[in-house]
Amino acid sequence: MSLPLSAIIMLIFGAVILYGGLAYFLYRAFKAKK
Amino acid sequence: MAAIGSAVGLGNVWRFPYVCYKNGGGAFLIPFFVAIFTAGIPLLILEFSVGHWARGTPPKAFKKVSKKWEWTGWLTVLMPFIVASYYVVVMAWCFSYMIYSFDLRWGMQAESFFSIFLGDTGSPLVIGGISLPILLGLIAVWVSIFLILYKGVKRIGKVVALTVPIPTILLIILTVRGLTLPGAIEGISYYLTPDFSKLGDVNVWLAAYAQVFFSFSLAQGIMITYASFLKKKSDLTNNAFIVALADAGTAFLAGFAVFSVVGYLTVLQGISIDGLTMAGPGLTFITYPTAVSLLPFAASIFGVFFFIALLTFGIDSAFSMIEPISASINNKWHISKARATALICVLGFLFSLIFTTGNGVYLLEILDHFVTNFGLVTIGLLECIIFGWLYRVYRLREHANKTSDIMLGRWWDILIKYIIPIILIFLLFVTIIKNITENPYPNYPSWLIVLMGIVPLFIITGLSFVLMKIKSGKEVVKT
Repeated sequence: MSLPLSAIIMLIFGAVILYGGLAYFLYRAFKAKK
Repeated sequence: MAAIGSAVGLGNVWRFPYVCYKNGGGAFLIPFFVAIFTAGIPLLILEFSVGHWARGTPPKAFKKVSKKWEWTGWLTVLMPFIVASYYVVVMAWCFSYMIYSFDLRWGMQAESFFSIFLGDTGSPLVIGGISLPILLGLIAVWVSIFLILYKGVKRIGKVVALTVPIPTILLIILTVRGLTLPGAIEGISYYLTPDFSKLGDVNVWLAAYAQVFFSFSLAQGIMITYASFLKKKSDLTNNAFIVALADAGTAFLAGFAVFSVVGYLTVLQGISIDGLTMAGPGLTFITYPTAVSLLPFAASIFGVFFFIALLTFGIDSAFSMIEPISASINNKWHISKARATALICVLGFLFSLIFTTGNGVYLLEILDHFVTNFGLVTIGLLECIIFGWLYRVYRLREHANKTSDIMLGRWWDILIKYIIPIILIFLLFVTIIKNITENPYPNYPSWLIVLMGIVPLFIITGLSFVLMKIKSGKEVVKT
């Protein structure tokens, strides 16, 4: 069985917002510290 | 870091994946993100701003608005103390299970093993005896909390430097292991396949707001207390985004660790996922251990990893629930931090003993239901009214904007003053109606539900007024 395309899309959607967002705000925090 | 540790707790592992699966799978991410950005992050910014502006614990912060609101601050710090009293018991279960994981003592009978472990009497009215393994675990957890807190905020910083990354790394290892198992894709498919028709259901949106509200450690005075320790120039808005996304990201990751292993279990046993307990203690102490027992190799190692992850996730949340009350006592009466922490830990331990008995699990369930569904939501609402309307929220916005790169606009005032209170009132209203029309505990006597669910909430409300009335250290010296 493979993962349905709709599930893959939701996975990418979730990962981009959560981990992409987290990386972005962490980057801002580190940049501000420097 | 401490705020992330506080927000990420047992609920991220045992609540979010199930709520997501039950409310439209991947489609749930849409209301979930809307809830994060319209309620979770704005409320986090509010609590950070309040703590940073007041430079003190919740009683001091509420008192700064008006003396007559100090009791709300005490209520805010007493509520997490009540939560901690049973949260710590669940951690004591995790502690025992971590030891049992070395030889997978539950075998293939995880359900009956858990029942024997609890000393479950099968009825909320039959007390039974105190379970020795739980008692020992409880002592270990309360002593740990005391040792972390009694020296103050510096030690908290050292502890969270370990207890935030360690469980995250363990969760990643468990996820990778889970994804390599046969049946993992079936499990993930259950978790993420979207059912967009559910987006029209108001209950799904309420579930998203409730998930965000409970998961972010809001309305417990924790974020206010932690923010009071932040440096004057700390970027409050950026910190709120980091805490929110780290918390939600951990919950999202936990879904892969849980559903991949559960998918493996369903394929191996030829059963449907609907027949398994997928949330709360049932997932942690029955479903997951059963799946771990069936792992092809190094099963005990992954069992130990799982329970260490839960313990380390939980310990940050547990001590963050004690810190606000302990710091508030220290703040008001100038009792040393060590004495205040010792007093709270001893009281908490004594209260926790109720939940170590044979009917403890039933009592825990009732108290948790009322505290989370009514207590925390009410405090959240009071925070919005007091800081949004009485203090005038634009002042807090200006305070946050002074130190932040991301400027908050008037939209934030609207969220705090109108949108979030309306959502919380609606949430409260729906919960009350549900509790009246569908009794959540039909087999329990009404007096027990009142005694364990409603009475504690009234007691701590009364106690909040008493604590407000007792003169502070300075006032005593003056008189």
